[in-house]
Amino acid sequence: MRTMVGDILTQAGFEIVGEAETGKQAVERYKALRPDLVTMDIVMPDMGGIDAVREITAFDPGAKVLMCSAMGQQSLVVEAIQAGAKDFVVKPFQPSRVLEAVQRVLG
Amino acid sequence: MDPARYADLFRTESREQLSAVNRALLAIEQGDESREPVDAIFRGVHTIKGMSATMGYTAVAEFSHELESLLEKVRDGEQGISAELMDALFAAADALEDGVERARDGDAMGDSMRRALERLHDVAGGRSTAEFRVMLPTGATLEAAATVAPSAALDGPGTLVHVEQESTTMLAGVRAFMVIQRLRELGEVHGAEPSVEKLQAATAPQRFIVRVTTTAGSAELERAVRSAGDVASVRIEERVAAPAAPVMRPSTPVVIEGRMPARPSVPVMIEGRIAEDILDEPSAHPLRRASDVFGVADALGPAERGAAPRARHVRIELARLDALLNLVGELVIVRGRLQAVARDVAMPALDEAMAEASRLIGDLQAEIMTSRLVPVGQVFDRFPRLVRDVARQLGKDVLFSIEGKEIEIDRSVLDEIGEPVVHLLRNAVDHGLEMPVVREAAGKPRAGRLVLAAFRDRSSVVITVKDDGRGIDRAKVLSRAIALGFVPTGTERLDDDTLLRCIAHPGFTTSDHVTAVSGRGVGVDAVISRTRALGGSVELTSEPGRGTQMTMRLPVTLAIVRALLARVGNERYALPLTHVRETLERGPALVRPVQGHDMLVLRDEVMPLLRLRDVVRMGGTHDAGREEIVVMERGDRRAGLIVDELIGQEDIVVKAFDGARDGLALFSGATILSDGAPALIMDVGSLL
Repeated sequence: MRTMVGDILTQAGFEIVGEAETGKQAVERYKALRPDLVTMDIVMPDMGGIDAVREITAFDPGAKVLMCSAMGQQSLVVEAIQAGAKDFVVKPFQPSRVLEAVQRVLG
Repeated sequence: MDPARYADLFRTESREQLSAVNRALLAIEQGDESREPVDAIFRGVHTIKGMSATMGYTAVAEFSHELESLLEKVRDGEQGISAELMDALFAAADALEDGVERARDGDAMGDSMRRALERLHDVAGGRSTAEFRVMLPTGATLEAAATVAPSAALDGPGTLVHVEQESTTMLAGVRAFMVIQRLRELGEVHGAEPSVEKLQAATAPQRFIVRVTTTAGSAELERAVRSAGDVASVRIEERVAAPAAPVMRPSTPVVIEGRMPARPSVPVMIEGRIAEDILDEPSAHPLRRASDVFGVADALGPAERGAAPRARHVRIELARLDALLNLVGELVIVRGRLQAVARDVAMPALDEAMAEASRLIGDLQAEIMTSRLVPVGQVFDRFPRLVRDVARQLGKDVLFSIEGKEIEIDRSVLDEIGEPVVHLLRNAVDHGLEMPVVREAAGKPRAGRLVLAAFRDRSSVVITVKDDGRGIDRAKVLSRAIALGFVPTGTERLDDDTLLRCIAHPGFTTSDHVTAVSGRGVGVDAVISRTRALGGSVELTSEPGRGTQMTMRLPVTLAIVRALLARVGNERYALPLTHVRETLERGPALVRPVQGHDMLVLRDEVMPLLRLRDVVRMGGTHDAGREEIVVMERGDRRAGLIVDELIGQEDIVVKAFDGARDGLALFSGATILSDGAPALIMDVGSLL
């Protein structure tokens, strides 16, 4: 999943500076790497995506987090956006849609 | 609004959902490990829950809720799928069906639902903890709920932002929420139509209007809205004063003063919105108005709402379609009469108008016919489950497949063929297919193949049920047929036709025992009489050790057919053109006696020749000097039919006989001809 989003972004010329497997790791990596953009799953072990978004935006109000969600997680996505996520993409990923969302967030 | 009017809609919708649930259960049982079937079951049950809650069918709603809670565990991987669980789920689907059918009668949870729940809980362990309440307060009627005035959210000062989402929008509710969030960053959001909660819960792309007060300009507002993504169009409408707002018609450029009038009671029900609306999270967004669920609002202006290019369907009672068809049938008869009159009058202006009217009536007829066509899949979809159950009950392995689900046939024909096909399928599983060990011993795969297929053959729809089982034991049927006196003693072999006639005889069975599934000897008989009543026919082919195929040939539409009119004596008979291959003038070269019977020799073919006068036992001889021959055909069988005279072609409206069918085996119905005289319609199948 992560690889897939990674591949789409790499092919579009983005550089992947770091990856995390859990919400906790994500928050730590964010603080260390300060990336331009984070793509994050809603459901993750350890600390969920929504809490991770909340912590990341608390640390950096300008953080740009793009949520990856499955169909049917509508209310969770709303929550993530309330927590500070800037946009979302829906699985299964279509490269064009992912890049569209990325551009919106970065634009 | 009358809740009773929705009861039928509820049942129809629920049946569709249940059939999807059963399909998905079968898919899981057949090893589909993807999420899709689980999700499909979930959706189906969830939809039924929402609908039953709205209807006030507490028991069904509660039952679906319990079922849903368990399914949630399956979906989230907390509950593994086992054979017991599958059985329990199948039982639950049945119980739910039972509940749906009885919902109207009473509210208490029936035994079947209670037992199914217990079983589910035994298998899955533990009752769900989630609390569930039926959304409509007790005592609140649908009527009261439905007449809630349209939202006043848009009344008041500010700017109206009209937004239309892309038709490809995913999680449209979230996108809509993001729009509102972006607008909140620029000013104060006072309300939206549909409401913010409803927007947020929507699963399909939509159009909506938000009222904001802001200092931001139009361009800025538009940029903010577009930044939420998947926005197809934005229109900013500045408001000076604070009059009442247009509510339901976002695309209307003119601001209409005053509120929408009270909702008229809407006799048509819009299909397609229902499931989506019910898919809103009910816990977060209770279904407040029956109109939310049943899409009544949409009936006011479906074109204005819903940006998604979904097919717009209207549900119409079948009785209404029948009435339309009858009317157009009468119209067709009148047209014939008018044409006859116009010919006599010979007035060019009349002829021209007549031709125009005639064409329009033809178009109208075609439209109405088409509107009655539905894919056979609507009925076939419930058969996999049935075959599975029968096979399990009998301990057989069956690979069942359906072909040609998309073939369309008249609704009323389809309604009639469900039962006959069930008979044929049961027979095939019970009598046709062997037990797995027997099959293996015979060098066949353990699992028997059973194929239900539909295809078009000119103006007929052919439905076949084919198995690769043992075939019919002709010797056994023959000895029994001789014993019962169906065939003369000394008959050595039964051909397929005679075989079918024998096994179709009421009470005829070679089964040594009657099972719960079949063997009572009523099946084939029922199939044939039902098919014939529809103007169709049944054929049988069977090969020992290789299998049996039953073929039902049915008209695509009932009611109006083009027919050839033939005269015998003073009577006229209608021969459906579907079965007419050609017509000939009788000449000596065409007829040759073979073994004492007149046969028709046509090019290289020799076929039986019948005299209609004899067939209808009219007696006498033909009056005119010459006779004419109609070559009839059905499937690959042909015969010539001698008539006194061919009169012409006419569209006839088939009226089925109400009374006893015995003794009328030659005719499939009656009709009124364009000159007002009645005529009988020949059942070609019975002649061949």
